Amino acid sequence: MFVEIIDVIISGMINGSVYALMAVGLTLIYGVSKAFNFAYGSFYSMGGYLAWMIFSVAVINSYFIIFILSIPVLLVLGYLIEKVLVAPLRKRDDWEIKVMMITLGLALLLDNSYQVLFGARMKSLPSILEGSLEIGEFILAYQDIVIFILSIGGILLFRWFLNNTRTGMSVRAVAQNPAGAQIVGIPKEFVFSATFAISTVMVGTGGILLAQKYFVTPTGGWDILVKAWVITAFGGMGSIKGSLYAAFILGMLEAFVGWYFGMTWVLIALFAVLLTTLAIRPQGLMGKWG
Amino acid sequence: MLEIKNLNAYYDDFHVLKDVSIDIKKGEIIVMLGPNGHGKSTFLKSICGLVSKIRGTIKYNGQNIAGLGSEKLVNMGITYIAENRELFPEMTVLENLKLGAYSKTARPYEARNLEKVFALFPRLKERSNQLASTMSGGEARMLAIARGLMSNAEFLAIDEPSLGLQPNLRDEVARIIKEINKQGITVMVVEQNIPQITELAHRLYVLEEGRISFEGSKDEALGNDHLKEIFLGM
Repeated sequence: MFVEIIDVIISGMINGSVYALMAVGLTLIYGVSKAFNFAYGSFYSMGGYLAWMIFSVAVINSYFIIFILSIPVLLVLGYLIEKVLVAPLRKRDDWEIKVMMITLGLALLLDNSYQVLFGARMKSLPSILEGSLEIGEFILAYQDIVIFILSIGGILLFRWFLNNTRTGMSVRAVAQNPAGAQIVGIPKEFVFSATFAISTVMVGTGGILLAQKYFVTPTGGWDILVKAWVITAFGGMGSIKGSLYAAFILGMLEAFVGWYFGMTWVLIALFAVLLTTLAIRPQGLMGKWG
Repeated sequence: MLEIKNLNAYYDDFHVLKDVSIDIKKGEIIVMLGPNGHGKSTFLKSICGLVSKIRGTIKYNGQNIAGLGSEKLVNMGITYIAENRELFPEMTVLENLKLGAYSKTARPYEARNLEKVFALFPRLKERSNQLASTMSGGEARMLAIARGLMSNAEFLAIDEPSLGLQPNLRDEVARIIKEINKQGITVMVVEQNIPQITELAHRLYVLEEGRISFEGSKDEALGNDHLKEIFLGM
Protein backbone atom coordinates (compact mmCIF):
# COMPACT_ATOMS: atom_id res chain seq x y z
CA MET A 1 0.00 0.00 0.00
CA PHE A 2 2.70 2.47 1.02
CA VAL A 3 4.82 1.66 -2.03
CA GLU A 4 1.77 2.00 -4.25
CA ILE A 5 0.99 5.46 -2.90
CA ILE A 6 4.57 6.58 -3.45
CA ASP A 7 4.31 5.26 -7.02
CA VAL A 8 1.12 7.23 -7.56
CA ILE A 9 2.71 10.41 -6.20
CA ILE A 10 5.72 9.99 -8.46
CA SER A 11 3.54 9.34 -11.48
CA GLY A 12 1.50 12.44 -10.59
CA MET A 13 4.66 14.54 -10.33
CA ILE A 14 5.96 13.33 -13.69
CA ASN A 15 2.72 13.91 -15.57
CA GLY A 16 2.31 17.17 -13.68
CA SER A 17 5.71 18.39 -14.89
CA VAL A 18 4.88 17.77 -18.56
CA TYR A 19 1.39 19.26 -18.12
CA ALA A 20 3.03 22.28 -16.53
CA LEU A 21 5.29 22.75 -19.56
CA MET A 22 2.31 22.54 -21.91
CA ALA A 23 -0.16 24.55 -19.84
CA VAL A 24 2.34 27.38 -19.40
CA GLY A 25 2.50 27.63 -23.18
CA LEU A 26 -1.27 27.82 -23.50
CA THR A 27 -1.64 30.38 -20.73
CA LEU A 28 1.15 32.41 -22.32
CA ILE A 29 -0.80 32.82 -25.57
CA TYR A 30 -3.88 33.79 -23.63
CA GLY A 31 -1.96 36.17 -21.38
CA VAL A 32 -0.30 37.97 -24.28
CA SER A 33 -2.94 38.05 -26.99
CA LYS A 34 -6.17 37.20 -25.10
CA ALA A 35 -6.88 34.61 -27.79
CA PHE A 36 -7.47 30.92 -27.31
CA ASN A 37 -5.64 28.40 -29.46
CA PHE A 38 -7.79 25.36 -30.25
CA ALA A 39 -5.06 23.76 -32.36
CA TYR A 40 -2.82 23.50 -29.31
CA GLY A 41 -3.48 19.75 -28.92
CA SER A 42 -2.69 19.16 -32.58
CA PHE A 43 0.74 20.73 -32.07
CA TYR A 44 1.22 18.18 -29.30
CA SER A 45 0.61 15.39 -31.84
CA MET A 46 2.85 17.21 -34.29
CA GLY A 47 5.73 16.92 -31.84
CA GLY A 48 5.08 13.18 -31.51
CA TYR A 49 4.90 12.65 -35.27
CA LEU A 50 8.03 14.72 -35.92
CA ALA A 51 9.92 12.58 -33.43
CA TRP A 52 8.48 9.42 -34.96
CA MET A 53 9.49 10.50 -38.48
CA ILE A 54 13.04 11.32 -37.43
CA PHE A 55 13.22 8.06 -35.55
CA SER A 56 11.72 5.69 -38.13
CA VAL A 57 12.23 7.41 -41.47
CA ALA A 58 15.64 8.98 -40.90
CA VAL A 59 16.55 6.11 -38.54
CA ILE A 60 18.07 8.39 -35.97
CA ASN A 61 17.89 6.87 -32.55
CA SER A 62 19.02 9.77 -30.47
CA TYR A 63 16.61 11.95 -28.55
CA PHE A 64 19.22 14.67 -28.50
CA ILE A 65 19.14 14.89 -32.30
CA ILE A 66 15.36 14.52 -32.31
CA PHE A 67 15.06 17.61 -30.11
CA ILE A 68 17.68 19.54 -32.08
CA LEU A 69 15.77 18.89 -35.30
CA SER A 70 12.18 19.18 -34.03
CA ILE A 71 12.42 22.37 -32.00
CA PRO A 72 13.35 24.67 -34.92
CA VAL A 73 10.65 23.04 -37.09
CA LEU A 74 8.01 23.62 -34.40
CA LEU A 75 9.24 27.19 -33.86
CA VAL A 76 9.07 28.10 -37.55
CA LEU A 77 5.72 26.37 -38.11
CA GLY A 78 4.21 28.09 -35.08
CA TYR A 79 5.50 31.45 -36.28
CA LEU A 80 4.19 30.98 -39.83
CA ILE A 81 0.79 29.70 -38.72
CA GLU A 82 0.35 32.76 -36.51
CA LYS A 83 1.47 35.15 -39.27
CA VAL A 84 -0.70 33.60 -41.97
CA LEU A 85 -3.85 32.54 -40.10
CA VAL A 86 -4.15 34.49 -36.86
CA ALA A 87 -2.47 37.86 -37.46
CA PRO A 88 -4.80 39.00 -40.30
CA LEU A 89 -7.84 38.31 -38.10
CA ARG A 90 -6.60 40.56 -35.34
CA LYS A 91 -7.52 43.66 -37.32
CA ARG A 92 -11.20 42.71 -37.40
CA ASP A 93 -14.04 43.04 -34.93
CA ASP A 94 -14.67 40.12 -32.59
CA TRP A 95 -11.33 38.70 -33.59
CA GLU A 96 -11.02 36.55 -30.44
CA ILE A 97 -13.95 34.42 -31.59
CA LYS A 98 -12.62 34.29 -35.13
CA VAL A 99 -9.26 33.09 -33.84
CA MET A 100 -11.02 30.31 -31.94
CA MET A 101 -12.87 29.27 -35.09
CA ILE A 102 -9.82 29.29 -37.32
CA THR A 103 -7.64 27.39 -34.85
CA LEU A 104 -10.44 24.86 -34.40
CA GLY A 105 -10.50 24.43 -38.19
CA LEU A 106 -6.72 24.13 -38.20
CA ALA A 107 -6.92 21.41 -35.52
CA LEU A 108 -9.33 19.35 -37.65
CA LEU A 109 -7.18 19.87 -40.73
CA LEU A 110 -3.99 18.83 -38.93
CA ASP A 111 -5.55 15.79 -37.23
CA ASN A 112 -6.97 14.51 -40.50
CA SER A 113 -3.68 15.17 -42.28
CA TYR A 114 -1.91 13.06 -39.67
CA GLN A 115 -4.38 10.26 -40.36
CA VAL A 116 -3.84 10.50 -44.13
CA LEU A 117 -0.06 10.72 -43.84
CA PHE A 118 0.65 8.32 -41.01
CA GLY A 119 -2.47 6.14 -40.83
CA ALA A 120 -4.80 5.69 -37.90
CA ARG A 121 -2.62 3.15 -36.14
CA MET A 122 -0.75 4.19 -33.01
CA LYS A 123 2.94 4.97 -33.34
CA SER A 124 5.32 4.16 -30.56
CA LEU A 125 8.70 5.61 -29.77
CA PRO A 126 11.56 4.02 -27.92
CA SER A 127 12.26 4.94 -24.35
CA ILE A 128 14.57 7.91 -23.89
CA LEU A 129 16.57 5.94 -21.33
CA GLU A 130 16.14 2.22 -20.60
CA GLY A 131 16.37 0.68 -17.19
CA SER A 132 15.20 1.71 -13.79
CA LEU A 133 16.30 2.75 -10.39
CA GLU A 134 15.43 0.17 -7.74
CA ILE A 135 15.44 1.10 -4.10
CA GLY A 136 14.14 -1.69 -1.94
CA GLU A 137 10.57 -2.34 -2.99
CA PHE A 138 10.08 0.48 -5.37
CA ILE A 139 11.10 0.95 -8.92
CA LEU A 140 11.55 4.23 -10.70
CA ALA A 141 12.07 4.09 -14.47
CA TYR A 142 14.98 6.22 -15.70
CA GLN A 143 12.69 7.31 -18.52
CA ASP A 144 10.39 9.02 -16.01
CA ILE A 145 13.28 10.74 -14.28
CA VAL A 146 14.52 12.10 -17.62
CA ILE A 147 11.04 13.28 -18.62
CA PHE A 148 10.71 15.07 -15.29
CA ILE A 149 14.12 16.73 -15.54
CA LEU A 150 13.60 17.84 -19.14
CA SER A 151 10.13 19.30 -18.43
CA ILE A 152 11.32 21.21 -15.40
CA GLY A 153 14.41 22.26 -17.36
CA GLY A 154 12.17 23.54 -20.15
CA ILE A 155 10.09 25.57 -17.71
CA LEU A 156 13.20 27.04 -16.06
CA LEU A 157 14.67 27.90 -19.44
CA PHE A 158 11.43 29.63 -20.35
CA ARG A 159 11.46 31.53 -17.08
CA TRP A 160 15.01 32.63 -17.75
CA PHE A 161 13.97 33.74 -21.23
CA LEU A 162 11.07 35.83 -19.87
CA ASN A 163 13.18 37.55 -17.21
CA ASN A 164 16.52 38.02 -18.90
CA THR A 165 16.15 38.49 -22.63
CA ARG A 166 14.87 41.55 -24.44
CA THR A 167 12.28 39.51 -26.34
CA GLY A 168 11.20 37.82 -23.11
CA MET A 169 10.81 41.19 -21.41
CA SER A 170 8.75 42.46 -24.34
CA VAL A 171 6.48 39.39 -24.07
CA ARG A 172 5.84 40.21 -20.41
CA ALA A 173 5.33 43.87 -21.27
CA VAL A 174 2.63 43.10 -23.85
CA ALA A 175 0.93 40.69 -21.42
CA GLN A 176 0.90 43.28 -18.62
CA ASN A 177 0.03 46.38 -20.59
CA PRO A 178 -0.35 46.32 -24.39
CA ALA A 179 -0.78 50.11 -24.58
CA GLY A 180 2.39 50.64 -22.53
CA ALA A 181 4.26 48.20 -24.75
CA GLN A 182 3.22 50.14 -27.83
CA ILE A 183 4.34 53.41 -26.25
CA VAL A 184 7.89 52.18 -25.59
CA GLY A 185 8.06 50.97 -29.19
CA ILE A 186 7.68 47.22 -28.81
CA PRO A 187 6.49 45.68 -32.11
CA LYS A 188 3.34 43.98 -30.81
CA GLU A 189 2.75 41.93 -33.94
CA PHE A 190 6.16 40.33 -33.64
CA VAL A 191 5.57 39.57 -29.97
CA PHE A 192 2.25 37.86 -30.77
CA SER A 193 3.89 35.67 -33.42
CA ALA A 194 6.90 34.89 -31.23
CA THR A 195 4.63 33.92 -28.34
CA PHE A 196 2.63 31.60 -30.54
CA ALA A 197 5.83 30.02 -31.88
CA ILE A 198 7.29 29.51 -28.40
CA SER A 199 4.08 27.94 -27.11
CA THR A 200 4.08 25.60 -30.11
CA VAL A 201 7.57 24.47 -29.13
CA MET A 202 6.48 23.94 -25.53
CA VAL A 203 3.51 21.73 -26.37
CA GLY A 204 5.37 19.95 -29.19
CA THR A 205 8.21 19.13 -26.83
CA GLY A 206 5.64 17.81 -24.37
CA GLY A 207 4.34 15.63 -27.21
CA ILE A 208 7.81 14.22 -27.84
CA LEU A 209 8.36 13.53 -24.14
CA LEU A 210 5.02 11.78 -23.62
CA ALA A 211 5.00 9.87 -26.93
CA GLN A 212 7.31 7.25 -25.47
CA LYS A 213 4.79 6.56 -22.69
CA TYR A 214 1.40 7.00 -24.35
CA PHE A 215 1.85 6.45 -28.13
CA VAL A 216 1.13 8.95 -30.92
CA THR A 217 -2.32 8.97 -32.54
CA PRO A 218 -3.95 11.41 -34.99
CA THR A 219 -6.50 12.62 -32.43
CA GLY A 220 -4.42 12.17 -29.30
CA GLY A 221 -4.04 15.94 -28.97
CA TRP A 222 -7.62 16.54 -27.88
CA ASP A 223 -7.10 14.91 -24.52
CA ILE A 224 -4.08 17.19 -24.02
CA LEU A 225 -5.98 20.28 -25.19
CA VAL A 226 -8.75 19.55 -22.67
CA LYS A 227 -6.27 18.96 -19.86
CA ALA A 228 -4.16 22.00 -20.70
CA TRP A 229 -7.34 24.06 -20.86
CA VAL A 230 -8.60 22.75 -17.51
CA ILE A 231 -5.20 23.52 -15.95
CA THR A 232 -5.16 27.02 -17.46
CA ALA A 233 -8.66 27.82 -16.26
CA PHE A 234 -8.04 26.23 -12.86
CA GLY A 235 -4.79 28.14 -12.38
CA GLY A 236 -6.27 31.42 -13.62
CA MET A 237 -6.31 32.42 -17.29
CA GLY A 238 -3.05 34.13 -18.19
CA SER A 239 -1.27 33.44 -14.91
CA ILE A 240 1.92 31.45 -15.44
CA LYS A 241 2.45 30.80 -11.75
CA GLY A 242 -1.17 29.65 -11.43
CA SER A 243 -0.69 27.22 -14.31
CA LEU A 244 2.38 25.72 -12.68
CA TYR A 245 0.58 25.02 -9.40
CA ALA A 246 -2.52 23.84 -11.21
CA ALA A 247 -0.54 21.43 -13.40
CA PHE A 248 0.97 19.66 -10.41
CA ILE A 249 -2.28 19.63 -8.44
CA LEU A 250 -4.19 18.19 -11.38
CA GLY A 251 -1.37 15.78 -12.30
CA MET A 252 -1.53 14.45 -8.76
CA LEU A 253 -5.31 14.33 -8.77
CA GLU A 254 -5.25 12.43 -12.03
CA ALA A 255 -2.80 9.88 -10.65
CA PHE A 256 -4.79 9.31 -7.47
CA VAL A 257 -8.18 9.12 -9.17
CA GLY A 258 -6.76 6.82 -11.86
CA TRP A 259 -5.27 4.55 -9.25
CA TYR A 260 -8.22 4.46 -6.85
CA PHE A 261 -11.25 4.70 -9.16
CA GLY A 262 -9.83 3.84 -12.61
CA MET A 263 -8.76 6.01 -15.58
CA THR A 264 -12.35 6.52 -16.82
CA TRP A 265 -12.96 8.78 -13.83
CA VAL A 266 -10.00 11.05 -14.44
CA LEU A 267 -11.62 13.63 -16.74
CA ILE A 268 -14.80 13.63 -14.65
CA ALA A 269 -12.74 14.35 -11.55
CA LEU A 270 -10.75 17.09 -13.31
CA PHE A 271 -13.92 18.86 -14.40
CA ALA A 272 -15.52 18.41 -10.97
CA VAL A 273 -12.52 20.11 -9.37
CA LEU A 274 -12.48 22.83 -12.04
CA LEU A 275 -16.19 23.60 -11.68
CA THR A 276 -16.00 23.66 -7.88
CA THR A 277 -13.01 26.00 -8.01
CA LEU A 278 -14.60 28.31 -10.54
CA ALA A 279 -17.84 28.42 -8.53
CA ILE A 280 -15.88 29.72 -5.53
CA ARG A 281 -13.14 31.65 -7.36
CA PRO A 282 -14.29 32.50 -10.90
CA GLN A 283 -10.86 33.94 -11.72
CA GLY A 284 -9.13 30.63 -10.91
CA LEU A 285 -6.36 30.04 -8.38
CA MET A 286 -4.17 33.01 -9.29
CA GLY A 287 -6.08 34.82 -11.98
CA LYS A 288 -7.04 38.45 -11.79
CA TRP A 289 -10.34 40.10 -12.47
CA GLY A 290 -10.74 41.72 -15.85
CA MET B 1 11.81 69.99 -36.26
CA LEU B 2 8.15 69.01 -36.57
CA GLU B 3 5.87 70.52 -39.20
CA ILE B 4 2.32 69.33 -38.87
CA LYS B 5 -0.04 70.28 -41.67
CA ASN B 6 -3.79 69.72 -41.86
CA LEU B 7 -3.76 66.85 -39.42
CA ASN B 8 -7.06 65.00 -39.12
CA ALA B 9 -7.62 62.11 -36.74
CA TYR B 10 -10.56 59.76 -36.31
CA TYR B 11 -11.72 57.19 -33.80
CA ASP B 12 -13.92 54.90 -35.89
CA ASP B 13 -16.25 57.41 -37.53
CA PHE B 14 -15.71 60.11 -34.97
CA HIS B 15 -13.75 63.03 -36.42
CA VAL B 16 -11.55 64.23 -33.53
CA LEU B 17 -8.92 66.53 -35.06
CA LYS B 18 -9.87 68.89 -37.85
CA ASP B 19 -7.05 70.33 -39.99
CA VAL B 20 -4.64 71.04 -37.17
CA SER B 21 -1.40 72.71 -38.30
CA ILE B 22 1.49 73.33 -35.92
CA ASP B 23 5.20 74.02 -36.26
CA ILE B 24 7.58 72.98 -33.52
CA LYS B 25 11.17 74.18 -33.55
CA LYS B 26 14.09 72.34 -32.05
CA GLY B 27 14.64 73.13 -28.39
CA GLU B 28 11.20 74.58 -27.75
CA ILE B 29 8.71 73.83 -25.02
CA ILE B 30 5.25 73.97 -26.51
CA VAL B 31 2.21 73.87 -24.26
CA MET B 32 -1.20 73.00 -25.63
CA LEU B 33 -4.21 73.91 -23.55
CA GLY B 34 -7.84 73.18 -24.07
CA PRO B 35 -10.96 71.78 -22.46
CA ASN B 36 -11.21 68.06 -21.73
CA GLY B 37 -12.27 65.82 -24.56
CA HIS B 38 -11.47 68.31 -27.34
CA GLY B 39 -8.63 66.26 -28.86
CA LYS B 40 -5.42 67.28 -27.06
CA SER B 41 -4.40 63.72 -26.18
CA THR B 42 -5.41 62.52 -29.62
CA PHE B 43 -3.15 65.16 -31.11
CA LEU B 44 -0.10 63.96 -29.17
CA LYS B 45 -0.90 60.33 -29.88
CA SER B 46 -1.28 61.09 -33.59
CA ILE B 47 2.22 62.55 -33.74
CA CYS B 48 3.61 59.54 -31.87
CA GLY B 49 2.07 56.89 -34.12
CA LEU B 50 -0.56 55.72 -31.62
CA VAL B 51 -3.68 56.63 -33.60
CA SER B 52 -4.38 54.31 -36.50
CA LYS B 53 -6.66 56.55 -38.56
CA ILE B 54 -5.04 59.89 -39.44
CA ARG B 55 -4.83 62.14 -42.52
CA GLY B 56 -2.48 65.02 -43.26
CA THR B 57 1.28 65.40 -43.17
CA ILE B 58 3.67 65.31 -40.24
CA LYS B 59 7.20 66.23 -41.24
CA TYR B 60 9.93 65.31 -38.81
CA ASN B 61 13.35 66.70 -39.76
CA GLY B 62 12.05 66.97 -43.30
CA GLN B 63 10.69 63.43 -43.59
CA ASN B 64 6.95 62.65 -43.69
CA ILE B 65 6.20 60.35 -40.79
CA ALA B 66 2.39 60.41 -40.85
CA GLY B 67 1.07 56.86 -40.72
CA LEU B 68 4.20 55.30 -39.25
CA GLY B 69 3.64 53.19 -36.13
CA SER B 70 5.12 53.90 -32.71
CA GLU B 71 7.69 51.10 -33.02
CA LYS B 72 9.28 53.06 -35.90
CA LEU B 73 8.83 56.52 -34.39
CA VAL B 74 10.35 55.64 -31.02
CA ASN B 75 13.40 54.51 -32.97
CA MET B 76 13.49 57.89 -34.71
CA GLY B 77 13.40 59.77 -31.41
CA ILE B 78 9.73 60.56 -30.88
CA THR B 79 8.32 59.35 -27.57
CA TYR B 80 4.92 59.66 -25.92
CA ILE B 81 4.40 59.82 -22.16
CA ALA B 82 0.85 58.83 -21.30
CA GLU B 83 -1.45 60.72 -18.95
CA ASN B 84 -2.52 57.44 -17.36
CA ARG B 85 1.13 56.38 -17.18
CA GLU B 86 0.73 52.93 -18.81
CA LEU B 87 3.45 51.31 -16.71
CA PHE B 88 4.10 47.58 -16.50
CA PRO B 89 2.57 46.83 -13.09
CA GLU B 90 4.17 43.46 -12.37
CA MET B 91 7.67 44.63 -13.19
CA THR B 92 10.18 46.46 -11.05
CA VAL B 93 11.04 50.12 -11.50
CA LEU B 94 14.33 49.08 -13.08
CA GLU B 95 12.63 46.71 -15.55
CA ASN B 96 10.17 49.44 -16.51
CA LEU B 97 13.09 51.77 -17.18
CA LYS B 98 14.97 49.15 -19.18
CA LEU B 99 11.92 48.62 -21.37
CA GLY B 100 11.89 52.37 -21.92
CA ALA B 101 15.19 51.79 -23.72
CA TYR B 102 13.69 49.04 -25.90
CA SER B 103 14.24 50.81 -29.22
CA LYS B 104 17.36 50.08 -31.25
CA THR B 105 18.59 53.66 -31.08
CA ALA B 106 18.23 53.80 -27.28
CA ARG B 107 19.95 50.50 -26.48
CA PRO B 108 23.57 51.70 -26.78
CA TYR B 109 22.78 54.58 -24.39
CA GLU B 110 20.90 52.51 -21.80
CA ALA B 111 23.52 52.71 -19.06
CA ARG B 112 24.20 56.40 -19.63
CA ASN B 113 20.50 57.32 -19.71
CA LEU B 114 19.81 55.26 -16.60
CA GLU B 115 22.42 57.27 -14.75
CA LYS B 116 20.91 60.53 -16.04
CA VAL B 117 17.42 59.45 -15.06
CA PHE B 118 18.50 58.41 -11.57
CA ALA B 119 20.22 61.77 -11.13
CA LEU B 120 16.97 63.48 -12.08
CA PHE B 121 14.76 61.18 -9.97
CA PRO B 122 16.75 59.99 -6.93
CA ARG B 123 13.65 58.33 -5.48
CA LEU B 124 13.46 55.94 -8.41
CA LYS B 125 16.98 54.78 -7.69
CA GLU B 126 16.03 54.06 -4.07
CA ARG B 127 13.04 52.09 -5.29
CA SER B 128 14.54 50.41 -8.31
CA ASN B 129 13.60 46.91 -7.14
CA GLN B 130 10.06 47.77 -6.13
CA LEU B 131 7.14 46.67 -8.33
CA ALA B 132 5.58 49.50 -10.31
CA SER B 133 2.10 48.54 -9.05
CA THR B 134 3.11 49.33 -5.45
CA MET B 135 4.13 52.95 -6.14
CA SER B 136 2.15 56.01 -5.18
CA GLY B 137 0.50 58.14 -7.85
CA GLY B 138 3.24 60.75 -7.79
CA GLU B 139 6.06 58.20 -7.98
CA ALA B 140 4.32 56.35 -10.80
CA ARG B 141 4.06 59.64 -12.72
CA MET B 142 7.79 60.24 -12.25
CA LEU B 143 8.48 56.69 -13.42
CA ALA B 144 6.41 57.25 -16.55
CA ILE B 145 8.42 60.38 -17.38
CA ALA B 146 11.67 58.61 -16.56
CA ARG B 147 10.75 55.67 -18.77
CA GLY B 148 10.08 58.10 -21.61
CA LEU B 149 13.52 59.65 -21.12
CA MET B 150 15.14 56.23 -21.39
CA SER B 151 14.14 56.14 -25.06
CA ASN B 152 16.83 58.73 -25.83
CA ALA B 153 14.15 60.86 -27.49
CA GLU B 154 14.73 64.13 -29.30
CA PHE B 155 11.06 64.97 -29.01
CA LEU B 156 8.97 64.17 -25.95
CA ALA B 157 5.18 64.43 -26.01
CA ILE B 158 3.97 64.63 -22.43
CA ASP B 159 0.26 64.13 -21.84
CA GLU B 160 -1.14 65.96 -18.77
CA PRO B 161 1.85 65.37 -16.51
CA SER B 162 0.31 67.10 -13.51
CA LEU B 163 -3.02 65.25 -13.65
CA GLY B 164 -4.00 64.12 -10.18
CA LEU B 165 -0.89 65.51 -8.50
CA GLN B 166 -0.82 67.76 -5.45
CA PRO B 167 0.55 71.29 -5.97
CA ASN B 168 4.08 70.66 -4.64
CA LEU B 169 4.47 67.72 -7.02
CA ARG B 170 3.29 69.93 -9.87
CA ASP B 171 6.21 72.22 -9.12
CA GLU B 172 8.46 69.19 -9.23
CA VAL B 173 7.07 68.13 -12.62
CA ALA B 174 7.55 71.64 -13.98
CA ARG B 175 11.14 71.71 -12.72
CA ILE B 176 11.84 68.37 -14.40
CA ILE B 177 10.34 69.41 -17.73
CA LYS B 178 12.52 72.52 -17.65
CA GLU B 179 15.58 70.39 -16.88
CA ILE B 180 14.77 67.91 -19.67
CA ASN B 181 14.45 70.81 -22.10
CA LYS B 182 17.80 72.22 -20.95
CA GLN B 183 19.41 68.93 -21.94
CA GLY B 184 18.34 69.66 -25.51
CA ILE B 185 15.10 67.73 -25.78
CA THR B 186 12.18 69.39 -27.52
CA VAL B 187 9.04 69.06 -25.43
CA MET B 188 5.35 69.37 -26.12
CA VAL B 189 3.07 69.30 -23.09
CA VAL B 190 -0.67 68.99 -23.18
CA GLU B 191 -2.37 70.32 -20.05
CA GLN B 192 -5.39 71.74 -18.37
CA ASN B 193 -4.63 75.29 -17.33
CA ILE B 194 -1.90 74.63 -14.76
CA PRO B 195 0.06 77.85 -14.09
CA GLN B 196 3.36 76.09 -13.27
CA ILE B 197 3.33 74.30 -16.62
CA THR B 198 1.97 77.18 -18.70
CA GLU B 199 4.79 79.29 -17.26
CA LEU B 200 7.32 77.04 -19.04
CA ALA B 201 5.92 77.52 -22.51
CA HIS B 202 7.92 79.22 -25.22
CA ARG B 203 4.69 79.19 -27.22
CA LEU B 204 1.10 78.27 -26.43
CA TYR B 205 -1.64 76.63 -28.46
CA VAL B 206 -5.27 76.19 -27.53
CA LEU B 207 -7.25 73.33 -29.01
CA GLU B 208 -11.04 73.54 -28.99
CA GLU B 209 -13.40 71.09 -30.67
CA GLY B 210 -10.55 69.61 -32.65
CA ARG B 211 -9.32 72.95 -34.05
CA ILE B 212 -6.57 75.35 -33.04
CA SER B 213 -8.35 78.40 -31.61
CA PHE B 214 -5.29 80.29 -30.37
CA GLU B 215 -1.60 80.40 -31.10
CA GLY B 216 0.91 82.74 -29.52
CA SER B 217 3.09 83.71 -26.58
CA LYS B 218 2.13 83.67 -22.90
CA ASP B 219 1.63 87.45 -22.87
CA GLU B 220 -0.64 87.33 -25.87
CA ALA B 221 -2.63 84.59 -24.16
CA LEU B 222 -3.04 86.69 -21.01
CA GLY B 223 -4.44 89.53 -23.07
CA ASN B 224 -6.93 87.30 -24.86
CA ASP B 225 -10.46 87.71 -23.49
CA HIS B 226 -11.75 84.51 -25.07
CA LEU B 227 -9.08 82.46 -23.29
CA LYS B 228 -9.90 84.09 -19.99
CA GLU B 229 -13.48 83.13 -20.54
CA ILE B 230 -12.92 79.46 -21.32
CA PHE B 231 -10.35 78.84 -18.61
CA LEU B 232 -11.35 81.17 -15.85
CA GLY B 233 -14.97 81.84 -16.62
CA MET B 234 -14.27 85.57 -16.46
